[in-house]
Amino acid sequence: MNSSLRLRSGQLPVVVFGTLGLHALVALLAPYLPLLPTDAQNSAALLQPPSAAYWLGTDSLGRDVFSRVLHGGRPSLVIAFAATGISAVSGIFIGALAALAGGWIDEALSRVVDFMLALPTLILLLLISSFFGQDPVILSLALGFMYAAPIARVARSTTQALLARDFVRVARLQGGSRLSILTGEILPNVWRVVFTEVTMQFTWILLAFSSLSFLGLGASPPTPEWGLMIAESRSYMTLNPLLVIAPILMLATLVLAIQGLVDRE
Amino acid sequence: MKDLARRVIFSLTTFVALAAVSFLGVDALPGDGCTALLGRFGSPAKVEACRAENQLNNPVLVRLRDWSYDLARGDLGYSIKRDEQVLKIILPRLRNTAIMGAVAALLAFPSAIAVGLMLGRYPRSRIGRAINQLSVIAMTLPEFVIATMLWLLLSIWIPLFPGVNVVPSNATVLQLLPNVWLPALTLAAVIFAHAMRTMRASVAIIQTMPFVESARLRGTKERVTIARHILPAALPPVVNVIAVDGAWLLTGTFVTEAVFNYQGLGRLAIDAISDRDTALILPIVLFGLAVYLAASLSADMCVRLLDPRLRTAGQ
Repeated sequence: MNSSLRLRSGQLPVVVFGTLGLHALVALLAPYLPLLPTDAQNSAALLQPPSAAYWLGTDSLGRDVFSRVLHGGRPSLVIAFAATGISAVSGIFIGALAALAGGWIDEALSRVVDFMLALPTLILLLLISSFFGQDPVILSLALGFMYAAPIARVARSTTQALLARDFVRVARLQGGSRLSILTGEILPNVWRVVFTEVTMQFTWILLAFSSLSFLGLGASPPTPEWGLMIAESRSYMTLNPLLVIAPILMLATLVLAIQGLVDRE
Repeated sequence: MKDLARRVIFSLTTFVALAAVSFLGVDALPGDGCTALLGRFGSPAKVEACRAENQLNNPVLVRLRDWSYDLARGDLGYSIKRDEQVLKIILPRLRNTAIMGAVAALLAFPSAIAVGLMLGRYPRSRIGRAINQLSVIAMTLPEFVIATMLWLLLSIWIPLFPGVNVVPSNATVLQLLPNVWLPALTLAAVIFAHAMRTMRASVAIIQTMPFVESARLRGTKERVTIARHILPAALPPVVNVIAVDGAWLLTGTFVTEAVFNYQGLGRLAIDAISDRDTALILPIVLFGLAVYLAASLSADMCVRLLDPRLRTAGQ
């Protein structure tokens, strides 16, 4: 949203890089690590404190919190990657098309984008999830298209600015085809500007899905998902605070590390 | 004045258009009041009888017309599922959300302006930067995380406030008050960060402007420079943030209300969506639209009052 944001230049802080690397490793390798199954219930060990067998204790159904927390980012990450991909590709396509075509096509596309920016995102997601089922494919598509609007807006203004730049005019005078100018000169430069917006969106989408899960309309039980885990364990916070602290720490470190990629000042 | 009239008319037409689109959108959802009442397993004959009784079989444009007439007369409709007038369901919830929002606004906005003004005057100070970074955390983390952390901290570890709200939706204000604090604090954390950061950035820019410099060179007292010169010039962007966030306090508090089981409009919206009570969903969506349009309209007018240049620009 904010055009003054840009990707941090120079070296990334080690903390940001390390946190992101750890999260990526955990999310990719969780199914292959020697962990207890995430849905194995043990009625003899409900709400246990941390022990050698259960490193972070157990939840109200006797499931291993450590294993569930390591798996818990995967559903949101898959959705965030899919939806961000959709929003980036369709947003850049719509924005670049509007700027290149101009005229009534530009006018029509811009009005559609304005309309989409005005939509109440969360309530729309809740409606879709409630009426069309908690299907990850539908939710990714919905999130992807909802978040395409801000990208389209940035891509349109960037393309317009680029079209007036000398290097694009030179390429045109040299007889470059429309397609080669688009792919060779315009899209790489649009992508450099849009990339920051895409990075921010990745976290918003991740958090939107987590919030949806927390409200009971995202991931469905017994899937281990941080938002859902926090919702399920809130009543047992007094007995084992780790039940909510562990997924909160995971979610917070992941999101703040991604935000750490973006320079705000 | 002419400008203002045009702005009001624009807002009204936008509302009418969006209201019609919302009606058609909600209508297109698979399910209506009768399926909501009878559930997924209601027999087709019963659903059909219920639809006939409530005139749900009329063509969609006829229903849109009837619904608009009712709306214009102040009749928000009737929830078949809850067997109650929608207005009667919504009003107490709206009151609860408004109380919570007012507390959050009072906690957040004045302090955000004061802190933003202080930090903005020394934009390079270490403490200022640290506080600024800290507020990024409050803006980034989702509400359910902030809410759960506050709950753990201020209700379980330091038992200051009650956690889960067990007060019914029609409780008196006094019964409600102890339960307002935790959700209001959650909302305040989010909006404080927005307003404070905007104020800080705005003050940092304004105080380097020539008119501030000249006031200082004239020997104006620093207190007066801030009150008469910096503050009025720095406030317009903050007024816009306050308008958007103020509207959000009334219409966007689903998650926070869900965490604390606070019986407000957001909690009601989630319940209505979960049991697919379309008759109740639609007025809540419309209320949200109306609040947003009204907020941006009043922000425009406040900015006009603060900035004399804009008052004459339209003429």
